[in-house]
Amino acid sequence: MIAYIIRRLIQVIPTVFIIYTIVFMLAYAMPGDPIKVVLGEEVNRLSQEQLDAMRANLGIDRPFLEQYLDFLGDMLRFDLGRSFIQREDVIDIIGYRLPRTLQLMLGGMTVALIIGIPAGVVSAIKQYTWLDHALMIFALVGLSMPVFWQGLVAQLLLSSNTTGIALFPVAGYGDGNPYYMILPSLVLGTNLSAIIARVARSSMLEVAGQDYINTARAKGLKSRVVLIRHHLRNAIIPVLTVVGLQVAGLMTGALVTETIFNWPGLGRAIVPAILQRDTPVIMGILLLGAFVYLIVNLITDILYAVLDPRIRYA
Amino acid sequence: MSSPTSNQVAVLSPEGSREPIRQRRRFIRAFVSNRVAVLGLIIVTIIIFAAVFADVIAPYDPNKISAMNRLTPPNSEFLLGTDEFGRDILSRLIHGARISMLIAFIAQTVAISIGITLGMISGWYGGIVDDIIMRLTDAVFAIPGLMFLIVWVAIIDQAQIGLFSSLESIGLSTRHVSIFFALGLIGWAGDARMMRSQVLTIKEREYVIAARATGASNFRIMVRHLLPNAIAPSIVLASLGVAGAILSESTLSFLGLGVEIPNPSWGTMIDQGRNFFTNAWWYAIFPGLTIMITVLGFNFVGDGLRDALDPRLLK
Repeated sequence: MIAYIIRRLIQVIPTVFIIYTIVFMLAYAMPGDPIKVVLGEEVNRLSQEQLDAMRANLGIDRPFLEQYLDFLGDMLRFDLGRSFIQREDVIDIIGYRLPRTLQLMLGGMTVALIIGIPAGVVSAIKQYTWLDHALMIFALVGLSMPVFWQGLVAQLLLSSNTTGIALFPVAGYGDGNPYYMILPSLVLGTNLSAIIARVARSSMLEVAGQDYINTARAKGLKSRVVLIRHHLRNAIIPVLTVVGLQVAGLMTGALVTETIFNWPGLGRAIVPAILQRDTPVIMGILLLGAFVYLIVNLITDILYAVLDPRIRYA
Repeated sequence: MSSPTSNQVAVLSPEGSREPIRQRRRFIRAFVSNRVAVLGLIIVTIIIFAAVFADVIAPYDPNKISAMNRLTPPNSEFLLGTDEFGRDILSRLIHGARISMLIAFIAQTVAISIGITLGMISGWYGGIVDDIIMRLTDAVFAIPGLMFLIVWVAIIDQAQIGLFSSLESIGLSTRHVSIFFALGLIGWAGDARMMRSQVLTIKEREYVIAARATGASNFRIMVRHLLPNAIAPSIVLASLGVAGAILSESTLSFLGLGVEIPNPSWGTMIDQGRNFFTNAWWYAIFPGLTIMITVLGFNFVGDGLRDALDPRLLK
């Protein structure tokens, strides 16, 4: 077990380097000058020496490799640098934004699991009935809607009295009032719930054909006991993996959901940062997104190995 | 396993056997008997038809401004209503199919070419090559796709690269092309993993061993033996990938980073329509429905292909 975890951890190291390299090259390739963005017209009044001094101050006048290694050193010490534009450390910006994005992701995940798993299980138990077909087509419809459009329709129907019923606030964070979280979470969770329902169904069907299910039934266990103790427990493993793999998608969805619902998360920080050439903020957020994904997948893999001992020896 | 003699090679070789034809017939029958898949195919055909013949089908010029018909609700003249410039929404949707289909198909071609090539190399050579490619795949999976796209579009926009200027003559801007490639660049990782796992099972088959024994080069084995036998699941992924690419393109357009005005794109139309959402619901609703139905069509086809290819589902 320990050996497996160590092997998995070692695998992550090169991946992190590749991610860092890709992200750095992207940020480096971004044209434009943050100084011009901040100063606007003022730039013309400064002498070339002053401009050069400001560039040197930000460290953006040095050659590619030097910046690459320097930034890498900072990252390894978990120092994400300082925003070029806002007078704030990147870590503070993220420290404020990340919990809000995670909160939204957690909300979406909860919605997805609450809808997705029962839908998948019911669909599998009632395989080839109208209920199964209806649920699966419904799931595909859920998968086929653009998140931002779902958000607009939800706002139209559920938060306006002229076009629907004003059950929820249109947008905003509401100082952490959980009431404001419901609509964005519903919108964010829809896609994932459809994916989970589909995986849960096929996984349930896969397990249903196994000998140990027949054995459990043959020895006279109640069907509910077989369903929960034998069937569901084994079928849930692939669902977990998919949930892990979907974290990146969930983050992307969160970015869009934040835009529609005016939610103060990371998504609403990266767009202005890109427009203003605020390289440290862009890199910080991109790296963080990748990092969250890697961590979640690592946890999923380890969990997988705990639940299914065969994995460890593979 | 003993090394095959030349006699066995002839028997085991996939060429010259009637097996592939029978498999293809079975596959087509399985696909056609799946009503949902056929429905998907019909939807996809209609959308592609609309994209190709947009000029003929569209009832109005998609960019014709008419002050008298501003924000007209759907009626017999304008089936899906008009936008704030009095332009016919149905005509704009039909023309928008071009952009969406083109971006989705090219993006998917780029993705699948990269994915299949890297996955095949990774699975066939193994060892350090495999390790490097798989870690690269992990990295691509981990980077949040939409954020990558936003940064990418910003780079291309600002750099004003004239690299693709020859394409502008056929109505494609640099931004279009850059979106094709970016969508491809973030979309190949799944194809690579799938191809690799396929190759890993196929490379132990007798006909591959036989080919190797007769001295076929690595390249020949990959192209003649691995590719045709391992590609089927990738086709399923490609069809689902087109669906994903349509959604990504519309999301980019929605964030204001997609296809420029006045070229109608479905995502851009929703973005513009949201400003009139409370008094002209049709403006944003119909483009959204169009995207949904199109993506649903590709998902139906993808699912149908997968089921038809899966021998375990044979009844």
